[in-house]
Amino acid sequence: MRSSASIAWAVWRALFLREAVARVSAGRAAWVWILLEPIVHLLFLNVLFGFILQRVVSGIPGGLFITTGLLGYFMALNAATRGQDAIEANVGLLTYRQVLPVDTVLVRAVLEAILLVISGLFLFTGLYIFGFQVIPNDALLVIVAFVALWCVGIGLGLVLSVISKLIPEAKKVTKMLFRPLYVLSGIMFPVSAVPPAYQEWVMLNPLAHGIEIIRAGFFPQHQYHAVSSASLGYVLIFAMVTMCLGLALHVRFAPRLVAQ
Amino acid sequence: MIVAEEVHKRYHTPHGPGKWILKGVTLTIPPLLNVGLVGRNGSGKSTLLRLIGGIDMPTRGRIERHCRVSWPMGFGGGLQSALTGRQNAIFVCRIHGHEKDLADRLAYIKDFAELGDAFDEPVNTYSSGMKSRLQFGLSLAFDFDVYISDEITATGDSAFKKKAAAAFKKLSDHAGLIMVSHGEGTLKEFCTAGIWLHEGKAHWFDRIDDALKAYKESFSS
Repeated sequence: MRSSASIAWAVWRALFLREAVARVSAGRAAWVWILLEPIVHLLFLNVLFGFILQRVVSGIPGGLFITTGLLGYFMALNAATRGQDAIEANVGLLTYRQVLPVDTVLVRAVLEAILLVISGLFLFTGLYIFGFQVIPNDALLVIVAFVALWCVGIGLGLVLSVISKLIPEAKKVTKMLFRPLYVLSGIMFPVSAVPPAYQEWVMLNPLAHGIEIIRAGFFPQHQYHAVSSASLGYVLIFAMVTMCLGLALHVRFAPRLVAQ
Repeated sequence: MIVAEEVHKRYHTPHGPGKWILKGVTLTIPPLLNVGLVGRNGSGKSTLLRLIGGIDMPTRGRIERHCRVSWPMGFGGGLQSALTGRQNAIFVCRIHGHEKDLADRLAYIKDFAELGDAFDEPVNTYSSGMKSRLQFGLSLAFDFDVYISDEITATGDSAFKKKAAAAFKKLSDHAGLIMVSHGEGTLKEFCTAGIWLHEGKAHWFDRIDDALKAYKESFSS
């Protein structure tokens, strides 16, 4: 008999390789698009906001400003949105009792993080070639903030995967809710530029916290002034709460998640 | 040995809980026995197989498996349609912990399923017969004590049915079989005992002929 841990490990490994194969072989040269998508996204934003930003965030190149924000945002969002659809996409594989719905969500989050790290490295290499200063001021803080945002994504993915399976309409709602998040997470502006009366509201969003922390770690202190309410603890607590809630939901509704 | 005690099952529908499909199924399936499951459409045959296979859980009651039970083969379950037959086979080998002898298992599956070049084509290009050959080969590649088959032989051609029969015969000295089929001939050929599912209850018959008789009589009365 194999131990539970070795079964779980075998399942994660197999699911990961299956997801990776599906992801990089979906359509023609899918891996090119995976890398190209964030780059095009970034170029688009740069053209749009590059000029404005140079005035708002003095001393920080617009390209780096947006890249750090965008990567932080995608770190959380990709894990959440891909995780949300994970159970449905793997429903055929739930025929094997070794494979649990929660496995599919977690494995997707890992794959998304790896893909994002790869495209992030490409982006920074590109920026370096164009003469940007891409070495973070406090690399450890940047990494921790990215991991924290990723955990928020996993937590959201776990919760949403259960909800969207139990209530199919939920997906339409979350899609609507995610859209303003793009604007409200501070990808295109520093939170300190928001009028103080509204900062409180913006800072309810854990993504805004995470992105502020990433930038605070990335840029020297005299260049970037993160709002004082930005807190890594807030992101981590949000991640912990959603992860625990998500795992609890997965346990509670296990029979209904595997029903076809 | 598989023991089912007072198993109740109903599914959730978009309009709240559905009607009870199984209403107190109590069964003991001894090892090394080939059992045929009969019953009308919608009587809960596939549901019972899913519960025995451990994919789904009973709403009430419990099921104990004191042996290694395969997943239910049939209806395209267990295959990821965007992946090729080979990729699916590799996945199943991996989750069953056969990373080391992957090549041997793959060779066996490929040989049994007789898919030829289609083994490297996506599963969504397969005919239903090809799919069941692959599923069948997949589950035979592993050593289970009980194999569960949900109409797996129904879609195959006669050559495949013959092969399946030979494979089951070879297994019968060390493994049991639980199968659903609407083909009387298939059931009589493969099974010795029978279970008749009727109005949410399971009735055990030591001889498949008796189970089929009871099943048929339920139509005429």
